[in-house]
Amino acid sequence: MKHLWTTSVMLSASFMLAACGNSQVEAPEEETTEIPEEAAEGPKTLIDGLGNEVEIPSNPEKVLGSYLEDYLVSLDVTPVAQWSVSDGESIQDYLQEDLSGVPLIPHDLPYESVLEYEPDLMIIRDAVEQDMYEQYAQIAPTYVLKSSPTEWRETLTEVGEVLGMEGKAESVLETYDAKAQEKAEELSAVADSESAAAVWMVNNSLFVVHPERSSGAVMYGDLGLEIPEVVSNLSSDADWAAISLEELAQMDVDHLFFVNSDGPEAELFEDRLWQNIPAVQQDQVYQYGPETSWLYYGPIASEQVLDNVVDSITK
Amino acid sequence: MIFKNIHYLILALIFIIILMGILSLATGHLAISPSELVETALGEGSRRNELLLFEFRLPRLFIAILAGAALGVAGTLLQGITQNELADPGILGINAGAGLSVVLYLTYVSNRETTSPLGQMMTLPFAAFLGGLLAACCIYIVAWKNGVTPIRLILVGIGVNAGFGAVLTLFQLRMNQSAFNQVTVWLSGSIWNAHWSAVISLLPWVFILIPLSLYKSRTLNLLQLGDEMATGLGINTERERIKLVAIAVALTGASVSVAGGISFLGLGAPHIARKLVGNKHQRLVPTAACIGALILLISDMIARNLFAPSELPVGLIVAFLGAPYFIYLLITTEA
Repeated sequence: MKHLWTTSVMLSASFMLAACGNSQVEAPEEETTEIPEEAAEGPKTLIDGLGNEVEIPSNPEKVLGSYLEDYLVSLDVTPVAQWSVSDGESIQDYLQEDLSGVPLIPHDLPYESVLEYEPDLMIIRDAVEQDMYEQYAQIAPTYVLKSSPTEWRETLTEVGEVLGMEGKAESVLETYDAKAQEKAEELSAVADSESAAAVWMVNNSLFVVHPERSSGAVMYGDLGLEIPEVVSNLSSDADWAAISLEELAQMDVDHLFFVNSDGPEAELFEDRLWQNIPAVQQDQVYQYGPETSWLYYGPIASEQVLDNVVDSITK
Repeated sequence: MIFKNIHYLILALIFIIILMGILSLATGHLAISPSELVETALGEGSRRNELLLFEFRLPRLFIAILAGAALGVAGTLLQGITQNELADPGILGINAGAGLSVVLYLTYVSNRETTSPLGQMMTLPFAAFLGGLLAACCIYIVAWKNGVTPIRLILVGIGVNAGFGAVLTLFQLRMNQSAFNQVTVWLSGSIWNAHWSAVISLLPWVFILIPLSLYKSRTLNLLQLGDEMATGLGINTERERIKLVAIAVALTGASVSVAGGISFLGLGAPHIARKLVGNKHQRLVPTAACIGALILLISDMIARNLFAPSELPVGLIVAFLGAPYFIYLLITTEA
């Protein structure tokens, strides 16, 4: 079914090439002043995740990478617009220190909104967006990421490559790894081989993070906390797997990170089952709001989770 | 019947379509002023306006006009053949049959590796045609007993619709989430992803089949007199009926393959046309085509602007306008 849109998109491309042959489809020639460092070579051509040859302008100034803002910001690139849902009802709050003042763009990236910001480079990933590829490609060179959304390191490297900032991306990774190691040592001094889990409550439903994804990768992979049995038994391909309160009550866990999207008045806190969870009774539940980075991917999100975990456990 | 002179009416309708078309081109999330519109049309506009106008809005406009006209005529034919004012390709399940067939064709038969993109787009209406034909056969087999009463036709149509919908859901459940969502949006009628290629694939169908329908007007008129009378007047009723159904299904299929399942348009357009020009198909067919085009054009404008920059599926708008009218007809039509 994906073919339906992609192909109609593809074929309109070929038609438009025939129809208006000259200027539009080509990437706009960048004639801005050369910025030394890494963008010395001029425009380059990359093959993107859809197999398209994308001509990347040598020094993109107006970059649009909706839901990839974490990576862009970590590379010191401020996007022309930032991801949002329902007219700004939901944005990536944890990045607002760097993104305040950046205008919002609806998450489904309508063409006319994209055109409004006239980006000179677009980086996209979502499947729905891929279907609209050819329309975007007419607005600006559009690169569809190859890396998996669950692999933030690969994504960062790829975004760095697209922007001609391979070196910068590598140093961001190195800085992160150094910090992770330092934090892991700090943690093992006080909580050696203790277990932890991150649970997200939204609309009175509970979800537990996948041990290799998002904040799960940070807790277990980078900080070396133990995975509780209940978590490793959950066989789900989702970043956050549904878990019942009963299962949660049985979880033998030393530290529970609780991401609460429902606010302090949630019904759950009244529940006897909840009140009897060992971590709750021993006051080892650390609450975080949805404005924190626990639900996200990226170098900045991960770094904030590092800090959150270690601060909570060592305080 | 209000208008005696059909030529003036058609000219007036085309004039309104052009007017609304220009309005539609100028409105949207990014506004284009009239002077910019003229500049861009003359090839002197900014790159942004050129893209907006020629690549995003103009193909949509054409698809709305062509698909609307096709559905209007398809509805007119179906209502004429069945002598049933409640017939509509969407309600009868022809949309669903065509939609199912398009989804299957794109999922299993045609893919980018083996078919050229343009080839695929051009063959899509054929796939839709076959699916629609299958649905029409189902209706015919189940419902036809020396003609069909309006309510019986609608009930069978609902059944066929549900049946094809169920099969489609079966396939949808095996898709990933984003493909699932796309199919859902597309099936409710959407021209948000309009391309020139879609316009091209639609053109031959509309420009061959609508004149053909017009040519068949006399047959349609005679069919209104009942089978016996029509046979007496030299019409091979069975064969003509099959031909006409095939034309209606082909028009529906072409429109479904680019614009998804838009319901109620094939119902409403012929009704409005009948109020304007009466029951003669020579007058009804072109009027219904214009009305259909106008309704879809206006609905698309609403769909684009209501929650701009986000869009609603245009089929939702048409259904929102058309469903109450359908219920009104159901209440006033005798069983």
